[in-house]
Order: sequence, then C-alpha cells, then structure tokens
Amino acid sequence: MIPLLLITPLILLAALGAVWKARPVHAALLLALSLSLIGGLYLMIGAEFIGLVQFMVYVGGVAILIVFSLLITRPGDEAEEVARRPRSVATGIACVVPVLGMLLYAFSKGLPEQGSEGAAPSLPIKDLGDRLFTYDLPAVLAVAVLLTAVLIGAALFARNFDKNPEPPADS
Amino acid sequence: MKPVLVLLLTLALSGLGWAGEAGPLVTGESLPRLPQRLVEMILEAVSAPEWLVAIGSFAAAAGTVVGVFLGGFALLSLFERKVLARVQNRLGPNRAGYFGILQPVADGIKMLTKEDIVPTKAEWLLHLIAPVLIVVPAVLALGVIPYGREWLPVPLELGLVFFFAVGAMTEIAIFMAGWASGSKFPMLGAMRAISQMISYELPLMLSALAVVMMTGTLSLSGIVENQQGFHLWILPAWNILTPWGMVAGLVFLIAGIAEANRCPFDLPEGESEIVAGHMTEYSGFKYALFFMGEYLGLFAISGLWITLFLGGWQAPLPGLGFVPSWIWFFGKLAVVIFFFLWIRGTFPRVRIDQLMRFAWLFLIPLGLLTLPVAAVWEYSGRGTLGWLICGAMLLVPFVMLTVFYNRRLAPATRRYHFIE
Amino acid sequence: MTPLALLLTLSALLFSLGLLAVLTRRNVILILVGIELMLNAANLNFIAFWRYGPPEAGLTGPVFVLFSIAIAAAEAAAGLAIVLMVFRHTRSTDLNRLDSLHG
Repeated sequence: MIPLLLITPLILLAALGAVWKARPVHAALLLALSLSLIGGLYLMIGAEFIGLVQFMVYVGGVAILIVFSLLITRPGDEAEEVARRPRSVATGIACVVPVLGMLLYAFSKGLPEQGSEGAAPSLPIKDLGDRLFTYDLPAVLAVAVLLTAVLIGAALFARNFDKNPEPPADS
Repeated sequence: MKPVLVLLLTLALSGLGWAGEAGPLVTGESLPRLPQRLVEMILEAVSAPEWLVAIGSFAAAAGTVVGVFLGGFALLSLFERKVLARVQNRLGPNRAGYFGILQPVADGIKMLTKEDIVPTKAEWLLHLIAPVLIVVPAVLALGVIPYGREWLPVPLELGLVFFFAVGAMTEIAIFMAGWASGSKFPMLGAMRAISQMISYELPLMLSALAVVMMTGTLSLSGIVENQQGFHLWILPAWNILTPWGMVAGLVFLIAGIAEANRCPFDLPEGESEIVAGHMTEYSGFKYALFFMGEYLGLFAISGLWITLFLGGWQAPLPGLGFVPSWIWFFGKLAVVIFFFLWIRGTFPRVRIDQLMRFAWLFLIPLGLLTLPVAAVWEYSGRGTLGWLICGAMLLVPFVMLTVFYNRRLAPATRRYHFIE
Repeated sequence: MTPLALLLTLSALLFSLGLLAVLTRRNVILILVGIELMLNAANLNFIAFWRYGPPEAGLTGPVFVLFSIAIAAAEAAAGLAIVLMVFRHTRSTDLNRLDSLHG
C-alpha cells in the first residue's frame, strides 16, 4: 500500500506535466515518464509481464514515435498557445469535471464490499500464453492482421511522394 | 610463456573447485559470488533484520557485476585501441605503463579533470540526465544475464523481456541528449540513432523469438540449460549449430552490432559527417559516461548473443566441465568482442539509406523466416531430414533476397565529382 | 482507502487529464498524447480489478490489456502517419488550420 501511495502522485504529476507543458517535446517526454511509471506500478502489484510490455511498447515505441513526429513537423510557437490558454482551459475543465465526477461516483458505488487484498493472483507467463493461443486465438489473429495492415499502411502513407526522390545518378 | 600462465591459472581455479568439496565458502564455481556470501555472512553475524540482509546481498551481487564490467570497460578501451592499431599496422598506446596497460587510468583522469561545458542553448536538466539514462539500462540489462552455473545476479523468469524492455530506455536517452543540446549536429545524430535503433530492434527481437519458441521459456538461465549436452559426442548442442539457429544467430549478431552503434553501423556518430552525433555538445565526465554506456551496451548485447545462441556458460567440448563455468562465458565474450573489433577494423561504414534498406528488406524477412524454419526443424525430427528441409527453406529465400537486394535495391553506382 | 479505490481514483484522474489534453490542445500530436493517457487509464482499471477485485475473473484483465496495448501501438503508428501526410500537404499540425477539404 505504501509504495502505491508513493508512486500514484508521481504518475499524476507527470501526466499533469504532459497535459500542461506548453513546449511539445517536454509534454511528450513527460508522457513517456508517466507511462513508464505506470509500468513500474504494474511491476509493483505483480503484473510483471504487463509492466515490461508497457515499457517496451509505450516507452520504446509510442513515445519515440511521438517525439519523432514532433521533430519532423516542427510545431508552432508556444507563445500563442500560452496566450490562448485561459479560455481553452476553462472550457476544457468545464467539460472534464462532470466526467470526472461521474467516474468517481460510479467507482464509489460499484466497488465490491471487500477486495482480495492479500496475496497477488499469480500471472504465470505459460498460462497467459496458453490462454492467448487457445481461447483468444481469433482475437490474436485479428490483432495480427490489424498490425500488418497498419505497418504496410503507415509505410505507404509516410512514403515520399516526390516525383524524383533520388538525385540523378551522375551529374 | 603466456599459454603456460593461462594453463596455470586455469589449474589453480579448478584446484579451488576441488578444494571446495570440503569447504563450502568458496569454490572455483562460486568464486564470483564470494562478495555476496561475505556480505550475507557479516550481516547475519551482527543479526541484522531480514530485509537488510536481502538488500545487502542484492547490492553486493549488483556491485560484483558492475565492478567486473567497469574493469572490462577499462580493459576493452585499451584492447580496442591495441587491436585496431594492429589491424592498421601501428603500435597503439604504449607510453603509460608496460604495454600501455595504464592508458585507461590516464584517459579516466583526463576525462574527469576536463571542464564540463553546457551550451547556452541547452536545456540543462535534460542535458544532465541524458548520459545517466544511457548508462542505467546497460547496467540493468547486464544484471539478468547468467554468467555461470551459480552466478546469476538477478534470477528473473522474464529475463529476455526485461532485457528488451530496459533497452527501450536507451532510445529516449539518446533523443534527450540530441534534443537538449540545442544544436544541429546532435539533433541529426539523435534522429539517425533512433531510426537505426528502432529498425534494428525488430530483427533482434524476431531472432530472439525463434529461440524462445524452441525452448519454451523466457528465462535466460532456462535457455542456457536447454543447450546442454553434445551431438555425436563432440558437437555442442548450441542453438547456433541448428539450421534455424544459424540464421537467427547471424541476424541477431548483425542487428546487435547495429544496436550497439558499432562500426560498420556507427552512422549516428560518424565523425566524417556529423562530428560526434548526439555526443557532440558533451565534454568531460558526461562524454565518458556516453562511452561507458556504449561499451556496457556492447557487453550486454554480446552476452545476450552468447546466452541465446552460443550456449552461455556451457563448455564447448565434452570433458571440460571441471573448469568453472563463468570462465567459459567470459572466454566466449572475449572472442565475440574481438570479432566486433575485427569487423570495426576491416569494414567501411555504410550509408544511411543502405542501412535502413538492409534492416527492412533483408534482416526482417530473414528474421521472420526463422520462425517457420524453427517449427519445421522441431517437427521433422531434428535430424538429417530436418537439415535438408530447413536448408532448402532457408537457402531459396536467402538467394532470392540477395539477388533482389543486389539488382533492384542496391544503390546505383554513383560517381562523385568536385563541385564545379 | 483500499488499494483498489486508490488505483481507480488514479485511473479516473488520468482519464480526465487525457480528456483535458484532447479538449485544450490544438496540435494534433499532442492530442494523441492525451489519447494515450486515456487508454492507459483504462488499462490501469483492468489491472487493478485483476489484482484487487474478485478472483473469479482469472486472466481476462491482463489478456485484455495485452490486446489494448497492441491496438494502442497500431493506433499511434497509423495516427502519426496520417499526421505526417497532412503536414506534408498543409505544412501545419494545428487542428484549427485544418479546416479545408481541399488538399
């Protein structure tokens, strides 16, 4: 419980930074920090495999993709962003607060009387694999098709459509 | 003279092993665990609480690994210069101490006493933590590799996943170093480094996946134990000596060289093009940290290669089991590292478009191919028939890929002219 | 406060922060940042219920999270590829300027 209490505010602070920071690269790096802290939280409560996968996919993949595309697109100036901030933030908070209230209300109502706080349920990697490749096989295949499609699609999208991409062979 | 010394050392160590039958404290096999044992004994003698014993023992185990590999880093920095000098028909460092043996010390003092410059345009916080973040994952990755039968610093069921998960941190660290320097060359170098690392991570994981598929475990010590025994009384049952393992091992080795930013894939810091890549704006100790991270990463990736394909700490010939197993591991490590240095001395650096094409159009298809080949090998009885089928399955696509790569994708011959 | 309640509160707050980012940011890529936060909040719920909830659920939570992570990765890759393509046409990633159907 105490480690959880320690890491929760850190996650929230990093996420707040990711939402608040005006400089886009800072926001992306703070997102990476927040996601890796969530991975650490998973490690803490006994879901080791999920935590490591979270590290691998989010820190090594998604965060890198985001900073990379930030670099390529060179986002506009931060002064404008900061200047128009009060209005947009007020609107945003007006929309978000009811959602948050509803979520918290639902959670407080729907909680089981007493959770099993004792021993962590084990997450043996073999059982996970067995389950994935028997019961969940259709879903695995669907995800595989999706990922292949995304790989090819992203490669096609991001291709250079210039007429003459290669410099002439000899000049 | 030197072979005699090596022989004597080996005999002495194995003698320790025999003497150890009586005394439980230290044997040749468990010698590297001596610091950990001592710390545990001392803490238990003063009746420290249990958690303190656990922490102390863990710290001692980690300290042993870090100490060994920092020593290895110092030695390697000298060894690399010596080997490269030999390749290039020079002498290499030979002023500081006999055979230049004190050169790492001199280098270290120089690095430590240099001025630490932070550029005005740099983001000082990110600029400061980037070198640290480069060293940390390398050290963490070294912690899960089994070095010997009894020497496994952190026994982890998910060792392989852990290795790749901490490796993801390196990319973020390189990005931070490049971006926070606030200058052009580091940025270009970081973009090159990240795109290279992402591209080469895929073949790396695919070829490791073949091993996982065949052994059915993600624990690195389990993978090593799976490679025990000998075929035909002489050939070790290592993964590299199976048809799928040969290709997967080769793919892993090439991708590993690229992940460790070694020549011929050291474009991110190609001196002739972008000064020193993401390290351009660093000086003094931070620069040394980058080098340390790079060398420790090299150790980690070669250690993983040895674990996955070269049988880890298993002896290469039958009847050599009396030598402590970690000696075999470090012997193999030395050979692999020497191989890397040899490559560095003899290969030219590739160009960036060749680098990316090689990963996406050659290594990834080959890496994907190892998975069905491994399945065929498993179900065709792991014998002569398996060799024939798997060989055909591998050879045909290999030749096709090579021809394709050479015909269509190899860059057209370029003629370079002076600017008129 | 039980651990389950703590984790659920955390996930609710993370979701709200992600929603706030989606509503207030104008850069498309930073909106993706918000979406990633929201997805992670949902994942956190699954793991929290797997760990502290009733034990009958078995492995459903972790398995679902694995799929969710895979789909989040695909979503980020496809989204960023689209953003890059849009950027190539309009030289901007500001949502307010992307108001024309004419490429």
